[in-house]
Amino acid sequence: MHIIVCIKSVVTDAPRGKIVRRADKCALNPFDRPALEVALQLKEKHGGSVTVLTMGPPSANATLREALAIGAHRAVLLCDPALAGSDTLATSTALSAAVNYLAPFDLILFGSRTLDSDTGQVGPQTAVRLDIPMVTGAVKIDGFPGHLTVERKVDGFLETYELDLPAALTIHPASAAPRDPALGGIAAAFDEMPVETLSIGQVGLDPNQVGDAGSPTRVLSMKPVKKKRTCQWIQGTPATQADDLVRQLVDAGLIG
Amino acid sequence: MEMLLEEKHRTLRQSVRRFCDRELRPIAAQIDQEARFPWEVIEKMGALGYFGIQVPKTLGGAGLDAVSYAIAIEEISRVSAAIGLCVSVHNSVAVYPIMAFGSQAQIDQWVPPLARGEKIGAFCLTEPNAGSDAGGIEATARSDGDTYVVNANKVFVTNGGIADVCLIFCRTDPAAGRRGISVVVAERGTDGFVVGDLEDLCGMRANPVCSIRLNDCRVPRTNLLAREGVGLKIGLAALDTGRMGIGAQAVGIAQAALEEAVRYARQRQQFGVPIERHQAIQTMIADMATGVDAARLMVYRAAALKDRRLPFSKESAMAKLFASETATRVTDMAVQIHGGYGYSKSYPVERYYRDARVTRIYEGTSEIHRMVIAKSVLEE
Ligand SMILES: Cc1cc2nc3c(=O)[nH]c(=O)nc-3n(C[C@H](O)[C@H](O)[C@H](O)COP(=O)(O)OP(=O)(O)OC[C@H]3O[C@@H](n4cnc5c(N)ncnc54)[C@H](O)[C@@H]3O)c2cc1C
Repeated sequence: MHIIVCIKSVVTDAPRGKIVRRADKCALNPFDRPALEVALQLKEKHGGSVTVLTMGPPSANATLREALAIGAHRAVLLCDPALAGSDTLATSTALSAAVNYLAPFDLILFGSRTLDSDTGQVGPQTAVRLDIPMVTGAVKIDGFPGHLTVERKVDGFLETYELDLPAALTIHPASAAPRDPALGGIAAAFDEMPVETLSIGQVGLDPNQVGDAGSPTRVLSMKPVKKKRTCQWIQGTPATQADDLVRQLVDAGLIG
Repeated sequence: MEMLLEEKHRTLRQSVRRFCDRELRPIAAQIDQEARFPWEVIEKMGALGYFGIQVPKTLGGAGLDAVSYAIAIEEISRVSAAIGLCVSVHNSVAVYPIMAFGSQAQIDQWVPPLARGEKIGAFCLTEPNAGSDAGGIEATARSDGDTYVVNANKVFVTNGGIADVCLIFCRTDPAAGRRGISVVVAERGTDGFVVGDLEDLCGMRANPVCSIRLNDCRVPRTNLLAREGVGLKIGLAALDTGRMGIGAQAVGIAQAALEEAVRYARQRQQFGVPIERHQAIQTMIADMATGVDAARLMVYRAAALKDRRLPFSKESAMAKLFASETATRVTDMAVQIHGGYGYSKSYPVERYYRDARVTRIYEGTSEIHRMVIAKSVLEE
């Protein structure tokens, strides 16, 4: 079984609101860790291999190596100046092309969202581009080989899906506790294992399909929201203060 | 600093930090107070390679370099110095001498289980009457057929309460003075191997530091490291690496104290402003940050020299001296910035203060370090 996990190097710090994609300010998206964990557990149970794929700048290399340290077998970086400015649609165009380049595959896993942009769109859009079935927010995966049984929790219901392979899933962050990389894994990932770098030409893409050119999204403006906070003192004995607080929260529709 | 490191080292730091914040931070204060060794975390660390950081993979280790080692010790010590001490002593003065001076058979016998953390190592040099003066030890190993009969009273043994594999410094030739000292490996469980009571320590309380006695303990002659008479040479070589680890430990403690002090100074209000606005507090923060940074650079330099197979003995001694003196000063200032709360167990800085103090004492006191450094400078 060949599982591809799409991961992202996210920005952990933006001093004074400016994003610098520098390796010391980037980390493996925490929501991708459970996806990688699920892939490794499936591989341990059913055999096969795990490939991690990311689209990003050269600094994303460290993130891929961390995934190798955790246990992935192969790491692929889709990196090209033409990719700069890609929105979620262009990103899924690029990722689906890279996934096709890495075919055959049985399963593609994504995190449910990213720490730094939080759209949750890239997984589903990539599945549509690849024309394969997709379930979002998967909590339990079973039923190999041949097909897949996936559980997903929404609005207090547990849904069960059966999917043909190849398929794509986004993984619910609580579905698996990610493992730590062994220190020996870190040594191997950085000293011994390769990271393959692909250009868009190698995966059959044209510069106008990706990057700014391939992105219909136009950001008009972006500014930080200033929240107005007011402080109100509640007087009285502790018991009457508590009553007063509860009443105000009920009145405001926040509890009750 | 981070930008000057390799990606491997940054990733390692992040991974160790994530592990320690999750596994050790919630229990760090409690294991200190209860003087409890947290086996539940140690087992996980063993599985992840923390007990064979620089041991090659073929022998069950992680195969990392000395800079990685320093970063790992620093990050563990930032959360729990007592566990940093356990890992540092095990790696540097127990496993390393076996790797460097042991025969292939000895390496194959002891290193893999030590590197996987299935066995814990200890370094037994200090005695009641021999501390700084290592040449003054009284322990003896008398040759008898194919065994040594060892009699030793070793004190202040880090990891002593749990160690399986102990490097014992003893006299094989009582007439030969400093040249009559050797290292034999004694294993816990051997007849005559007695583990003493835990020391009730000021800091580093989660480490089972205790005495170990060998009473007519018979150890196979094949447990001799290298040959007879080179014990002090082995000890000094081990301490070169060990001191780098203690330097890294001091940096980790000081870093933790600095972070707590900054956090507190931002939040504590006096005279109508956060105390971070008072210049006296700012002066302390500036001195703390500068000291920690300088100490870190010195420790990493010693490690980088070792990785390049260049001499690093003087640099390691200087790093240990400076980092330990810095850590005691920085933790003292962190207590000061916290005022009365710094003197209370409600905040972690009093633990950092207690833990930092011993870094100026063990693996060679500051005074001994100054002698060593002066000698090497004056001989240049
Ligand atoms: C928590 C802890 C863990 C330890 N772990 C270990 C371990 O794992 N293995 C081990 O073997 N030991 C260990 N030790 C022992 C430690 O290494 C010794 O305490 C240290 O070497 C100092 O020896 P001492 O305590 O006998 O002090 P002394 O040597 O008696 O020194 C007393 C004072 O005299 C000074 N002094 C001594 N000689 C001179 C000189 N020539 N010139 C100037 N000043 C001098 C010293 O600097 C010190 O200030 C540990 C100690 C502690 C507290």
